[in-house]
Amino acid sequence: MTTLNPSTSPARKPRIDWTRPVLWLFAAILVLLILLPLSWLAVYAFTDKNRHPTLQNFVTLFSNPDFLDPLLTTAIIAITSAVICCVVAAPLSWLVSRTDMPGRQTIRALVTASFVTPPFLGAVAWELLAAPNSGLLNQLYRLFAGEDADALFNIYSLTGIIFVISCYTFPFVFVLVANALDTMPGELEDASAILGGNAWTTARRITIPLALPALVAGALIAFLQAMTLFGSPAILALPAGFHTMTTKIWSLFQYPPKLELAAAAAVPLLLLTILLLQGQKFLLGRRGYSVIGGKYGAPRRVELKRWRWAALGFCLLVLLNPVFLPYFALLNAAFSPNATTLVTPSTLTLHNIVFVFTELSSTQLALKNTVILGASTATIGTLLALVIAYVTTRKVIAGHRILGFLATAPVAVPGIVLGVGLFLSYTRPPFVLYGTLWILLLAFLTINLPSAYQQLQAAFTTIHPELEEASRILGATRLQALRQITAPLLRTGVIATWCFIFIGVMRELSAAIVLFTSQTKVLSVLIYDLNEGGDLAAIAVLGIAMLVITFAVVMAVNQIPMSGSASAKLRNG
Amino acid sequence: MASVELRGLVKRFGSFVAVDDVSLTIDHGQLVCLLGPSGCGKTTTLRLIAGFLEPTGGEIRVGERLVSSKARTLPPEQRNMSMIFQSYALWPHMTVAENIVYGLRLRKMDRDTIAKKLAAILATTKLEALAQRYPGELSGGQQQRVALARALIIGPETLLLDEPLSNLDANLREEMRFEIRRLHDEYRYTTVYVTHDQSEAMTTADLIAVMNAGKIDQLGTPEDIYARPESEFVARFIGAANVIKGTARDENHVTFAGATLQVVGAKLTAGATAPVAIRQHEIQLSTREPSSQQNTLKAIVTRQVYLGMFRDYMVETQDGTSLRLTTPTETAVDKGSEVWLTLPPECCRALGR
Repeated sequence: MTTLNPSTSPARKPRIDWTRPVLWLFAAILVLLILLPLSWLAVYAFTDKNRHPTLQNFVTLFSNPDFLDPLLTTAIIAITSAVICCVVAAPLSWLVSRTDMPGRQTIRALVTASFVTPPFLGAVAWELLAAPNSGLLNQLYRLFAGEDADALFNIYSLTGIIFVISCYTFPFVFVLVANALDTMPGELEDASAILGGNAWTTARRITIPLALPALVAGALIAFLQAMTLFGSPAILALPAGFHTMTTKIWSLFQYPPKLELAAAAAVPLLLLTILLLQGQKFLLGRRGYSVIGGKYGAPRRVELKRWRWAALGFCLLVLLNPVFLPYFALLNAAFSPNATTLVTPSTLTLHNIVFVFTELSSTQLALKNTVILGASTATIGTLLALVIAYVTTRKVIAGHRILGFLATAPVAVPGIVLGVGLFLSYTRPPFVLYGTLWILLLAFLTINLPSAYQQLQAAFTTIHPELEEASRILGATRLQALRQITAPLLRTGVIATWCFIFIGVMRELSAAIVLFTSQTKVLSVLIYDLNEGGDLAAIAVLGIAMLVITFAVVMAVNQIPMSGSASAKLRNG
Repeated sequence: MASVELRGLVKRFGSFVAVDDVSLTIDHGQLVCLLGPSGCGKTTTLRLIAGFLEPTGGEIRVGERLVSSKARTLPPEQRNMSMIFQSYALWPHMTVAENIVYGLRLRKMDRDTIAKKLAAILATTKLEALAQRYPGELSGGQQQRVALARALIIGPETLLLDEPLSNLDANLREEMRFEIRRLHDEYRYTTVYVTHDQSEAMTTADLIAVMNAGKIDQLGTPEDIYARPESEFVARFIGAANVIKGTARDENHVTFAGATLQVVGAKLTAGATAPVAIRQHEIQLSTREPSSQQNTLKAIVTRQVYLGMFRDYMVETQDGTSLRLTTPTETAVDKGSEVWLTLPPECCRALGR
């Protein structure tokens, strides 16, 4: 009988209860990140210059045509984009998910590509394609219609904005609907068929009703995206001479700043976002009924027969707009001496690339800032998300739910609203952070926390708690179990999260645009500035570099089995 | 090595009482099964013993040492226990050998001792050939043996098993039952085994504690539990007995469906409702009126199924009670026939609860 002498078993130190301090510390950090900016936002929105309570800001907002017009424009853009997104994404996701169309994986990958393209980059690319005079498509049109013909397309218009926004928003709807269709058991349709329902009846009575909640939820998200986007409207609406809510808020920061009005204008965006997210949660929560019951087989694919290639053609035609044409325009601009002249082998030049990375002085600073911010946000954010995810999935302390809620709360705060809030919070003592990288760090941290938290929480749930318990019962302390068992199993998830935050920082524009100063410019702001200066070739070079890094990470992460659909973790701003 | 003692153990989750005043003494070297349907509190009891949960009330002692009480709960790593989990909980990033020696490494043993112990346990569990594999490359039965080896190698004072066989297929499960009992006879750890499978409990246990709604309903040897159930729950849960509800005439006679039955078991109070258990194979069925009138009933056959080894009957007595019984295959009676049932007095057990 081999029995261990009790004295040789692990040290028996009195246990200090760290759980409470940890809870308070992290709750305090999260409160600081989220509640402080929102509180200042509320204070400014409901007071005048001398901080006396007033509703005058809102009266101005809803009576002055200067503000009413952007409000109306935003509503039109958001509603039309949401509708267009649904009309495009629904058939696309059905074809990819439920039919035998050739090249389904390729189409999925291409939709992912449009998903990860920063919307402001897409907007610039469409400037290259469809600016009234110099746009490549308009040049092409004039080849046929004659030199003096009017431009066929004008991207600097309401229609243009709606079009470009839809291009980079429909993937949200696509992902939700395709996911619903992917997980919808084929037997549900078979059951309808065996009871006598023909293909059309089955689609009408079973498939469509089951996918409908996902579609409506997708429409809400598309609406939200279109409403809170800053980059595309700033690039396309300002030259056309009108404003959306986000650009209006931004313009209120220009000299002379009207902070109270900016704060008030941010309030409806915030409230509407919270409302829409609740609606989406409600819709997707009820979707649970579609997966009731035991084992189901893979969904049966509809045979398209002779329509197979026509379907593929349709998909490629749709993807022409968000992927093929813009990418072509960017590549062309990067290698051409003139951004909007078609490159030929004889005019192909690397001058733009050399120029951007060696001569353009602002690039160095922006790249340095982006790398510093990206790395530090990713490191701090991953650590923060890791601890919170551990606490919530393992329920180690009472009140873990509050931490989880706080960590996901920033989802409901549009980037520009957060930017306004942070500006108001950190331009005053005791925290004068404006003009430093710290304020951008706070912004990026807050914006990226929800997806980082969700990703790590998913990673934690794949690790069965019994794996940790098995090590505890064999004699490991909580920390030993974490180090020897949990940490190695989480490694890939942690690396993926780090990379995603880094990309997220690189893409962020709408909060950065109100927080940067000349010394704290980042890549996305630089691209926006270059656009104002008309330096489209430089944008193309920077944009392509950005896309290459993004694709590399997304593809690498998609190789990791447990991280799920990587592209869904990105947030556009 | 030491005994494990639970005294008035209570665990509440909010207003839900998962474990309700459980007291149980497990002697040194004994194997006790906690048996019950899902949600009866058996796994919670086990996790309380392991130290993964803190009790709301009562205490747990191992030997003379108080390990759990409301005031202070020793963390699992300081209890010198081992546990086999339902999911096996093999660490996917470690080889079989690394999994098994994990506990020894934590105890800072020298390499030679570890190697010696590893070789011994690999031989006992027939895992020599698989030592360098990863858990993902093993079959269910092999994973189960790795989990056993990992738990046994540290020589724990107490071994806990949480439904260890529920993920195996039927054949393997039967084989592993005997394997677990064999290893227990070899090492004689104080063992607590949680299962919902009656035959698993019967094969492995010295003592079975049948649990229901957070309480121990009956504690006894497998034979006690099967042959002498004390409550309706135990009678029904173990071996699916018929439970008839008669009225007591005196301390060992019950009136039921117009007949008087002599019963054994709990002493009855005249006039009270008396539940009586009788097993399906103990009821005798005949088409003619038996010569002895004692403990006989008239009934109508409502269902009859031929099952190869026996026939399975459903009959209805005059008061409308349905009884299920099995007979040798040669007793073939059609549905709708009138039959006489004999319920031997020594098989009719009056139940206290």
